[in-house]
Amino acid sequence: MEMSLVATLFPGIASLFVQDPVIACARIFMIIFGFILAYLGFKRTLEPLIMVPMGVGMICINCGVLFLDGGKLGTLFLDPLVSEPGALMNIMQINFLQPIYNLTFSNSLVACLVFMGIGAMCEIGFILANPWTSIIIAIFAEAGTFVTLILGVNLGLTPPEAAAVASIGGADGPMVLFTSLMLAPELFVPISVIAYLYLSLTYAGYPTLVKMLVPKKYRGIDIIFDAPEIPKTKKFIFILVCCALLCILLPMAAPLIMSFFLGMTIKEAEIVPYQDLLENVILYAATLMLGLLLGTLCEASTLLNPKVAPLIILGVVALAVSGAVGVLGGWIVYKFKKGNFNPVVGIAGISCVPTTAKIAQHIAEDEDPFAVIMPVAMGANIGGVIVSAIACGVFISTIHLVK
Amino acid sequence: MNVYAYAGFSYLFTAAISLFMIGVVVLLNKLMGNNNSNGEGME
Repeated sequence: MEMSLVATLFPGIASLFVQDPVIACARIFMIIFGFILAYLGFKRTLEPLIMVPMGVGMICINCGVLFLDGGKLGTLFLDPLVSEPGALMNIMQINFLQPIYNLTFSNSLVACLVFMGIGAMCEIGFILANPWTSIIIAIFAEAGTFVTLILGVNLGLTPPEAAAVASIGGADGPMVLFTSLMLAPELFVPISVIAYLYLSLTYAGYPTLVKMLVPKKYRGIDIIFDAPEIPKTKKFIFILVCCALLCILLPMAAPLIMSFFLGMTIKEAEIVPYQDLLENVILYAATLMLGLLLGTLCEASTLLNPKVAPLIILGVVALAVSGAVGVLGGWIVYKFKKGNFNPVVGIAGISCVPTTAKIAQHIAEDEDPFAVIMPVAMGANIGGVIVSAIACGVFISTIHLVK
Repeated sequence: MNVYAYAGFSYLFTAAISLFMIGVVVLLNKLMGNNNSNGEGME
């Protein structure tokens, strides 16, 4: 009687005692983890745009457990397992995040919207000024994706699961989300949470990696080149041609490709109202919903999935190998250009736009305040986005070939 | 195919598509004519 009174008055607390102790402990851990993520986002140690809503979502989904009809435990946020149309329509009228989850998240719409915003902020002129250098560095910086695929399969993941987690090596959040939803929907929550967590840490980790691989005297090399002025008409046509080519070659990744290049065409066409809409409203609204949904999907059972442990290791490997091989690519271009290149630019081939380009510039100007490598680094950065999209498209289209 | 062969194949395939795409852009630039005032075009 007393227990049922407590359960009625304080279901969130009572549910901890009714549940399996392991799950109850995992819930408490996730609540604490949510606090840590939100706090680190607040302090700007991790990316606040994602970590603050994710942390808040994680705290609330693990606190707000109650007794639903039939005595089963659940929340009023969302239930990702409901798929039967009648039950789904019913639950959409109860769980406030359910419509956003089913209509924007599980079909990758939110990833595409974020990518539109990213496209609207990218300047294709940077890659067009240095096309071969940019794309070669980006190809090197994608190596971590393929190494991680091999490692993932050897650690017991299925090839689609390994490909989904390997996409972290491309260092592009929406692309990881899209790829994992297509290839390993049952793992997309832990993969995406791990991806965004690690991507927030690249600002701290990559400078150390670059300094290990590039001696001091090479870090401050200024890159001397005359960037050609490319007319807007040409840039616009190039964007359309690239978009068409990639869609026809990789139709499985066409939604993501279209989203990115749509953002770029709107920028080049100078459709200012659309540009403002994409850069300000859509990008930030989609990022907020993405962070919040990822947090609310982090129930205790997510942590208890035995496949989460290898994902944590594979995520680090993917980003570390991509970074190291990207810098190697920078060294190769340095040798090819007989010293008129800064190998630090190699890290900018990782497609975390514009974080890794900024990292490259900061490292260079720490050695020489007059060193300017940002334009070349941005070219490699945008090249990285394109190559990552291609790599994900290749995985989605061909992973079934692995036996 | 096994995962090692697939990783090599998919990396090469990704590189090939990326280089092909940039090659098309560079070719298109040449066909559209170089508008740079100091005579330097895209590399």
